[in-house]
Amino acid sequence: MTVELGHFALVLALALSIVQAVLPVLGARRNDERMMAVAVPAAFTVFALIALSFVALTTAYVLSDFSVQNVFENSHSQKPLLYKFTGVWGNHEGSMLLWVLILSFFSALVAFFGNNLPPALKANVLGVQAWIGSAFLLFIVATSNPFTRINPAPIEGQDLNPILQDIGLAIHPPMLYLGYVGFSVCFSFAVAALIDGRIDAAWARWVRPWALTAWLFLTGGIAMGSYWAYYELGWGGWWFWDPVENASFMPWLAGTALLHSALVMEKRSALKIWTILLAILTFSLSLLGTFLVRSGVLTSVHTFATDPGRGLFILAILVLFIGGSLALFAWRAQTLEPGGLFQPISREGALVFNNLFLTTAAATVLIGTLYPLLLESLTGEKISVGAPFFNLTFGPLMLPLLAAVPFGPLLAWKRGDILAVAQRLMAAFFIALIAVGLVLYQTSASGVLAAFGIGLAVWLMLGAITDLVLKTGFGKTSASTAFQRLVGLPRSVFGTTLAHFALGVTLLGIVAVSTFATESVLVMKPGDTIAAGGYTLRFDRTESVKSSNYTEDQGHFTVLNSSGTEVTVLLSSKRFFPVRKMQTTEAGIKTFWFSQLYVSLGDAAKDGGVVVRVWWKPLVTLIWLGGVAMMGGGCLSLFDRRLRIGAPAKAKLSKARATA
Amino acid sequence: MSQPMVFWISAAILTVGATLLVLLPLTRRVKPSASDSQYDVEVYRDQLLELDADEQRGLIDHVSSEQARAEIGRRLLKSAKAVEVDRTSIRPQKSALREWLTLATVIAIPLISWGIYTKTGSPDLPAQPLAERLSRPPDQSTPAELIARAEAHLTLNPDDGQGWEVLAPIYLRIGRPADAITAFQNAIRLNGDTATRQLGLGQAMTAAADGKVTPEAEAVFKHALELDPKDMRPQFFIIDGWMQQGRLTEARDLIRKLLVEAPADVPWRDQAQAALTRLDQEISGDAPDVSNVEKTGPDASQVEAAAGMSSQDRAEMIETMVAGLAEKLKQSPDDVEGWERLVRSYVVLNRPNDAIEALGRAKLVLSADKVAQLDAVAKDLGLEDEPGTPEKN
Repeated sequence: MTVELGHFALVLALALSIVQAVLPVLGARRNDERMMAVAVPAAFTVFALIALSFVALTTAYVLSDFSVQNVFENSHSQKPLLYKFTGVWGNHEGSMLLWVLILSFFSALVAFFGNNLPPALKANVLGVQAWIGSAFLLFIVATSNPFTRINPAPIEGQDLNPILQDIGLAIHPPMLYLGYVGFSVCFSFAVAALIDGRIDAAWARWVRPWALTAWLFLTGGIAMGSYWAYYELGWGGWWFWDPVENASFMPWLAGTALLHSALVMEKRSALKIWTILLAILTFSLSLLGTFLVRSGVLTSVHTFATDPGRGLFILAILVLFIGGSLALFAWRAQTLEPGGLFQPISREGALVFNNLFLTTAAATVLIGTLYPLLLESLTGEKISVGAPFFNLTFGPLMLPLLAAVPFGPLLAWKRGDILAVAQRLMAAFFIALIAVGLVLYQTSASGVLAAFGIGLAVWLMLGAITDLVLKTGFGKTSASTAFQRLVGLPRSVFGTTLAHFALGVTLLGIVAVSTFATESVLVMKPGDTIAAGGYTLRFDRTESVKSSNYTEDQGHFTVLNSSGTEVTVLLSSKRFFPVRKMQTTEAGIKTFWFSQLYVSLGDAAKDGGVVVRVWWKPLVTLIWLGGVAMMGGGCLSLFDRRLRIGAPAKAKLSKARATA
Repeated sequence: MSQPMVFWISAAILTVGATLLVLLPLTRRVKPSASDSQYDVEVYRDQLLELDADEQRGLIDHVSSEQARAEIGRRLLKSAKAVEVDRTSIRPQKSALREWLTLATVIAIPLISWGIYTKTGSPDLPAQPLAERLSRPPDQSTPAELIARAEAHLTLNPDDGQGWEVLAPIYLRIGRPADAITAFQNAIRLNGDTATRQLGLGQAMTAAADGKVTPEAEAVFKHALELDPKDMRPQFFIIDGWMQQGRLTEARDLIRKLLVEAPADVPWRDQAQAALTRLDQEISGDAPDVSNVEKTGPDASQVEAAAGMSSQDRAEMIETMVAGLAEKLKQSPDDVEGWERLVRSYVVLNRPNDAIEALGRAKLVLSADKVAQLDAVAKDLGLEDEPGTPEKN
């Protein structure tokens, strides 16, 4: 019965979503408070119903109820409990349910925290959220129902794709969806503002926490996905410019621009067109990502089932929402009042520069992702656009942007003094130069690219710190005053510093691992050794181990340091999952400070040896630590007290009415 | 109260509750809230306070802060003016549209939800958690559930040789040769080495290799023969393997030897004799080489061997082949002819439940037109469609 109740709750949520999509928006147009007031309880109820539905599906997974087709196709009674939970979204239907669950969760959050929003705006935002929700609920019920039953029920399931049987599945998709879907709130705010025609500085203030929330989850989701691919796929790469990765990276680029643009709009009431457009584009790119991944246009581990019907349905949703919102934008954009003026050299100017580069970068990635697909559908010719294309286009776009990042926060609003800012950044610049020199010296001038990359990373990190130092006045005032100032700084200042610093950290990791990593592929027999990154790896033995739903060939290694003492042992294995007849690699990874030794097991060689791939990855963890630090920066900004604006107080209201 | 009743009542409560929650604001007088512009005013007031704080902290110089203050002041003034304008506009308390929409909502919520659910849901189907299914009395369980129970028992008591002994041939019969191999190996380990168990193991290995007698399987059959030199069955498999490998002369010699040693009245003599003649022709080049012909069904030697066996042995052999077919379909399920053969075989073997289950599995993987084709076959065979057939809801 739980299963069927979950199914019913899902359908009921669709019905309520439609009500939420119609009544509040009509109410806002007719200035009818009662109709607008439907939005809040409807948002809560829809969330509760979808949550009930999600719990019902999860219960079916945990109890191995194979009368549910979705459970039968993606679970197995012997699967470890964690994967029975995470397996719920490790498939198409379940992941779409998670998608709408998070969408309704964000609606509920807007309803909960929306007391400071004008009623008409709130009603419209929740209405637009419900448009999206209704469309996707209809999609699920019509083409991807996770509650389809089988009678009689099979006795055993077909198990979850072994690659997904990993702790990563518990973190990566929910986080990524929180990011993707979180940007729906910004989209709804933008469309609501366009419907309402009230687009001003206050709007930007309301939308900023949502942009921040979505952005920090998307950042975390991408970083986690990258690390997962790195350790699970056994190729030792952390980014492949795979279309699915690009699908998550494009909204990140646009979302980052949105975040900065909304700041200008809030402070100066400028860049309104930019901000609204970015809000629409960011979510549109999220939807595009959903379409690419779910329609079967692309084949990857993310494509659970290909069904042209689903692809067409999502395409229709895509056209409706992107086309509709852009048409609305085109229609309303002229009515926007011009905002505050500014000189090209100013904080605003710097952020326009930032917007331009980030959107161009997103467009580049979009072209690199879609061009092969278009070409194939038009001419049938298969081409692959890989790292070389992106290195030549995306790379050069990022360089000037990254070089300019430290200037931004130091420039004054309206009109800035670039020379004065440059002077203040002198120290950071010289230290970065020293770093370049050191690398050139160490590599005997062969690592020119690496040197400049590392110099840029150091420049970014020190530039971020310079901003903080200047704001506290270290060196100019007494240490205690400076410290007091530091403590008194708004959290968003720390957020900016941390996020910009983290950008440097990530860049340092990328440069180090792309230029200094070493790779060896060899056949090893027990007792053989190989040197990697100052350590020596010794192959000890192989062993077969049977686990609940797979068998594992383990390779045991010992890591020795330069003086020959044993540092640690390392286990690298290959797993075979009999139900799906699939093999996965479990790379053996040991972290030494920020660097990693990465060992991947290949096939057995004829003479009793095993093919082993050994990588030394210097500073590789910085790539993801930088991502985590960026998330931290986002959190700090989000919890800035200043983002909490009160609603008009009751007392003030009644007084106002009394005088009226 | 029956399960469906409980479900319908719960669904009704959910519907009524959800409808009420959204209806309440529509019918209740809402306290008039502040004008929308009043909310803007709050934001700008906040901004002014922040500006003061930033100036005190020294984050912004005096000139810029004055400019910003003037700018925010202008916005504040504009919004405050808008508040005054808003105050003169009235918010309607009575509205025909709203009343009409309220009615539409009350009708639409149950109509949409129950309308869709009755089309897509299976309200009468109870939840079937595996643990509950496995704890039902044996006489209410399906064969598959019984196997699962035995498996659960063996997971906890892996040294129960009798359990493995029972399960092993069942695995082989239902087309899970990989599990059959494990089960036979365990039975041999725990209950001792016998010809029957070795023969089963060899059959399982052959089935797992899609009917191919691998060198490992051949070794097992040879071992079975050592344990019981009188048993013909391992020898038939060995002969079959040799023929697959193209070792025709050896196969012929062994058949000849068997014929010589066997009493005159063994039932398989004629067939073996025919096989011998064929092999002789092949070896001398008169007939097409059978060893390289791709197998779609049992090959000649299998048929001949089957014909020569006792009826029990023959059934066993057929079942091995059927199991092999079922296993193959698991791996490449998009093969409607294969499913057809499997269903037919089950019917012939008088295993209607398996036939229906196979039919159901096939329907899950095949496209609609192929399902129709299969349905026609099922109808021919007299397999009823309900209630045993799994249906996609």
